[in-house]
Amino acid sequence: MATGSDIRAALASDFTPTVDPLRAAPTPTAARATPNQPRTRQPRLHKKPALRNRGRAAHWTYDTSTPPTRRDRLQVRQWRRAAPSADSTDVEPPASKFAKYDVKAEAPSYDDETYAQHLNHPDWTKEETDLLFAAYEECNGKWPVVVDHYETSTHRSMEELKSRLYSISATLLNLQTPMTAMTASEYSTYEVLKSFDPLKEASRKKLAEGHLRRPRNEVDEETVLLSELQRIMLHQQTLDSEREDLRRRLQHPVADQNGYQYSTSQALTTLWQQLLAADRAKKTQRLRPLEISGSRPSQSAASIADATSATPQTAQAVDMSKQDLLRFGVVQAQEKLPTGISFASDKLSKPRVAKSSLQTDKIAATLAHIGVPELIPLPTPAVVEQFERIMAKMQTLLDLRKVAEKEEQELRVRSAELGV
Amino acid sequence: MPAAPSKRVKGTQIRRHFLIGNTAHVLPSPGFPDPPPDGHTKGWTVYVRPLPNGPDITTWLKKVQFKLHHTYTDASRTIEAPGPFEVSETGYGEFGVEIRLYFAQESGEKAVYREHYLVLAAYGSDDQRARQERENKIVAERLETIEFNEPTQEFFKTLTSEEQFNWLKVKKGRGKGKKPDFIFEGAVEPTAQLPEKASEPGQAGAGGAWSVQYERQVLAQLQQSAAALDHSIEQEKRAMEERRRRLEEVGGAIGAK
Repeated sequence: MATGSDIRAALASDFTPTVDPLRAAPTPTAARATPNQPRTRQPRLHKKPALRNRGRAAHWTYDTSTPPTRRDRLQVRQWRRAAPSADSTDVEPPASKFAKYDVKAEAPSYDDETYAQHLNHPDWTKEETDLLFAAYEECNGKWPVVVDHYETSTHRSMEELKSRLYSISATLLNLQTPMTAMTASEYSTYEVLKSFDPLKEASRKKLAEGHLRRPRNEVDEETVLLSELQRIMLHQQTLDSEREDLRRRLQHPVADQNGYQYSTSQALTTLWQQLLAADRAKKTQRLRPLEISGSRPSQSAASIADATSATPQTAQAVDMSKQDLLRFGVVQAQEKLPTGISFASDKLSKPRVAKSSLQTDKIAATLAHIGVPELIPLPTPAVVEQFERIMAKMQTLLDLRKVAEKEEQELRVRSAELGV
Repeated sequence: MPAAPSKRVKGTQIRRHFLIGNTAHVLPSPGFPDPPPDGHTKGWTVYVRPLPNGPDITTWLKKVQFKLHHTYTDASRTIEAPGPFEVSETGYGEFGVEIRLYFAQESGEKAVYREHYLVLAAYGSDDQRARQERENKIVAERLETIEFNEPTQEFFKTLTSEEQFNWLKVKKGRGKGKKPDFIFEGAVEPTAQLPEKASEPGQAGAGGAWSVQYERQVLAQLQQSAAALDHSIEQEKRAMEERRRRLEEVGGAIGAK
């Protein structure tokens, strides 16, 4: 029986674990007498139940036997548990538990006759072929192992061995069951065997290895180039469509429909109605609906607004003779008018200014080149119209030039590519 | 603000031509203070005038404000109708004059700004320059067309009344209690459009140079420019065709590689 002071004393010394106080001999001092002996244990903190024999012990035997999957007659000694009772569930020797994993690779076999007839090959002698098949069976079809095992005077790569074996297998399969009589799976196997290309395989493996060993900067470069290419491909579409657009604008519009369908008067009226309906949807109406009901002569002075609103002040506008209109400078406008006051000379100056200053400079340079003065002092309607025509043409010219630049650039790139 | 804007005449637009410009003389010159103030070498007049045979400008223009360079005293000069809308000054430097046009009340429109660059030196081709120096008169003038879009009813009425041309006419024949007749005695019939032919040369500065004849000249010049432009476009088109052909070639060559 150990007291607390005993333990404390024991711990106070150079902490050699003492004997279990429960199992200690009644004279703890005797046990502590030789502290350096190995027969010591840590004090247990909980009670462990005493051992008790649960059942009968199993009987184990120690004999020799041959593992079932080995071909040579190896004698192995193993402890094996004897059958405890009549049940024979786990009677097999443990080695045979793994027998199911002993899968053999199947290689077709041939005799000399068949070889002489079908399987001859300029690069392969019969011995080499036999050796190959034997190695294949031995190594269980694992090609890396087969390559190591296969030793002849000529060094053959894995692809060559593979191709030889597969071609032989394919021919033998074909001989066994002709192609027409093969089942689906057989046929697919046959196809796979036939389509083995040693060169392609070799290059594929080399590529994969090279890919594995790429340095970091090459990887980065490749990603950058790929993204660049993607961007170009994306924009190719828009560029092409833009070019097509420009080319189309320069050529006269080609009618894509047969005009003959509108030759009857009925068809013409339907066409007119369609155009009118489409026009009504637009912001600025350019068509005038025909006044079929009633007769309002000399509608030349009235605009759409007048036709729809019969307010008194509009009637007044019409009441002037043409000469008077001219004399007082009154103009009946066809299109939508800007509100308030506008100046005609603005129409001569505003189109010259583009959104970017670079464009403005280009426009100014072109205008100077063709001889249009910077300040046109006479903004009459005729002059304005002529100027607008010039500006429209100039827009086309500038667009043409822009596309020209892009195309030149691309030409340069492509011819550089060609030259390389 | 008036209670409600009066009804507008829809779909109509009234156009009026007028002249904005300036004349300049090398001092000393009649009409300008003599001796000229220190450092001032040129005397100039900036103005807003109607066409010589056009309708009265005061029908629609009630007040003009000229904003001169800030170095002038009273840089903002306002002229009201009817006086000729001009400002005469002396100076030595060219600058942009901001002109503010105030319209008649019945138009209901806000004032607008136009700018005119004061030209004091001789310009143009050599003969033009020589002539300007000989006559000691430089005119830089342009025709402006103001467009009143959808004017109010009253404004429309004033702008289409015959009275606008009264300033050109001469009073003739007074009976008792009768209103004087106005008869036009000039050579050219008054109209708001440009006159057919220019009045005698030398009337530049009084707007005499503006005519349909001049318009035809300008149009001819513009048509020439348009032709030159067409030529350039043709060139570009040809180059584009050439390029397209080359592109196909190169594309084919790359494909064949």
